[in-house]
Amino acid sequence: MTDLASSGTRRTGGTAASNGRGLTGLLLVSAPVALLGWLIIYPIFNAIARTLLAPTETGTAFSTDTYVRFFSDGYALANLWLTLSVTAVCAALLLAICLPLALYLRFAKSRVAGVVQGLALFPMFVPSVILAYALIRTIGPNGGVDLVLNALGLPKINSPYLTPWGPIIGLVWDNIPLTTLMLVAGLGAVSDNAVEAARDAGARPLALLRHIILPQIGNAMLVVLSFTVLSIFSAFTLPYVLGPASPEMMGPFMQRTFSQVMDPRMAVTQAVITFAICAVFGAFYVRSIAKNREARR
Amino acid sequence: MAQLTLKNLGKSFDDTDVIRDLSLDVADGELVCLLGPSGSGKSTVLRMVGGFETPNRGAILIDGEDVTRVPPEKRPTGMVFQSHALWSHMSVAGNVAFGLKLRGLPKAQILDKVQEALALVGLEGYGERRVWQLSGGQQQRVAIARALVLEPKILLLDEPFASLDQHLRERLREELRDIQRRLGITTLFVTHGQDEALALADRIVVLRSGEIEQVASPDRMYRAPQTRFVAGFIGSMNFLPCDMRGGVSDHPLFTVRAAVSDGPVELAIRPEALTLLPASGTGARVHRVTDYGTHLLVDVDLPDGGRLKAMCPPSARYETGQEVAPGASHVALFRGDAKLAEVTVERRVADHV
Repeated sequence: MTDLASSGTRRTGGTAASNGRGLTGLLLVSAPVALLGWLIIYPIFNAIARTLLAPTETGTAFSTDTYVRFFSDGYALANLWLTLSVTAVCAALLLAICLPLALYLRFAKSRVAGVVQGLALFPMFVPSVILAYALIRTIGPNGGVDLVLNALGLPKINSPYLTPWGPIIGLVWDNIPLTTLMLVAGLGAVSDNAVEAARDAGARPLALLRHIILPQIGNAMLVVLSFTVLSIFSAFTLPYVLGPASPEMMGPFMQRTFSQVMDPRMAVTQAVITFAICAVFGAFYVRSIAKNREARR
Repeated sequence: MAQLTLKNLGKSFDDTDVIRDLSLDVADGELVCLLGPSGSGKSTVLRMVGGFETPNRGAILIDGEDVTRVPPEKRPTGMVFQSHALWSHMSVAGNVAFGLKLRGLPKAQILDKVQEALALVGLEGYGERRVWQLSGGQQQRVAIARALVLEPKILLLDEPFASLDQHLRERLREELRDIQRRLGITTLFVTHGQDEALALADRIVVLRSGEIEQVASPDRMYRAPQTRFVAGFIGSMNFLPCDMRGGVSDHPLFTVRAAVSDGPVELAIRPEALTLLPASGTGARVHRVTDYGTHLLVDVDLPDGGRLKAMCPPSARYETGQEVAPGASHVALFRGDAKLAEVTVERRVADHV
């Protein structure tokens, strides 16, 4: 009896202690959650509400007029299409450039890897606007490349400046460090022994990449794609400085609609549409991660 | 079935010699254990045989064919890693079948071979499971099946049971020994566990600082170590410093006679070669008694401040502080790292053999 009574007391004490820990945990997360609600969740719903509530003489009324205008305007749709295609090309180029780079950094044993890593991370420390002007001076009309070609007696290049390739080059250059870092982190999950075991089984480099490495970094690739899409879709500086004036990417389009066309409700509508497309990628990413975790359980 | 020859192998990392002029012959169907402390170079030797490291000097021959510069994917070797190194995105069968698929074998043949390999390691019916659904022991069996299914000439095992608990380790090493004998596959096994090496190997190679210290059968390695390092590394050993004068040791408890020049020596005595009899006036007192079930391990404080470990029958009774007279049935004499003599000892008096 004594034993039962004493064990019961201990159990109650343990529950109280774990409750205390739970409360501390809730208190610790309450501040960031409150900030999240105030600075992110509230503005999202506020923006959606502002686009759906049109001002009338008597106050406001529910209306989808700005969405109808956006999706029936050829210019707005061309801007959306340009943004989508630039994003897709950038994502493909980033994976094509950064995956070999990340593989080299992960598996190379030589000292050159350190230098390559330094070079790959360098763009992270260059502000976008500096990068944009550097690109203009290099690949713009009469830029550095043209000067060299001219000195060699060769014709000038067809400059990508003010074409969709301008922001593509800039955005890819700007996103190489983060993409490479995320892929290297993902490749950390592939152990040296797993690679060696595959080589031992007879896998040559391509088979190794296809059957062992890529399937194991699926999550990292999803993260990279999501981050790339989210950051490039909503990019402003590089598309504004390097991109074409018409059609234009969604970032400059929103800014111009707000400050030059003086139509803040339409600008918010463009932002909500941009957010909705990004949210689809975000949801896809979260669903994939959740599915993988579920499968592991 | 194949013969492995290592000829004057040398390997350096950043100008530090890890392996120095190592030569070894492993006979057809033989299981050789590479044993040594951390940093002795045993894993480096195995990785060079597997093709994961390239030696700076020397040659590796398999059945007389030089494979020193052949990459791992083209070598007739199969390796089992300490961390299992299974591919978590594949099923158990997928892991085992991977190498066969790369070789372009027909599906039916792959299926047969995979089932055969899984049966060999006692995992029939586990093919469809994911590797994370298996226990550590089962995962290591999959790794062994994956290496064996490709029918390598040489099986390489890099501390394969190090991450498993004692019981499982013992069971798996017995199973591995059975499989190795049944297939007659030449095997190189790296371990830092002397019990594992003694239980498994046909021959043990003790490595120290990248050099072979001794190559011998488990029996000879334990009972006739050639250097002080091997004597101390394999099993438990008591080392008692004393001087030899006129062919007789001046140790107060162990009078050993041997044809050894005068000078300092160490008497090396295994705990099981010691007997403890109740006595008075010896100055040797029981410090602690640990009951291991099968035997008692008695720590004895010596008058010179040293301590002995003696293995005694479980029926023996000793009290802490009790005065005892230790006697040894077998003593080896070392000076520096070299063995000078082995002596079979009559109680308190020894004759050179």
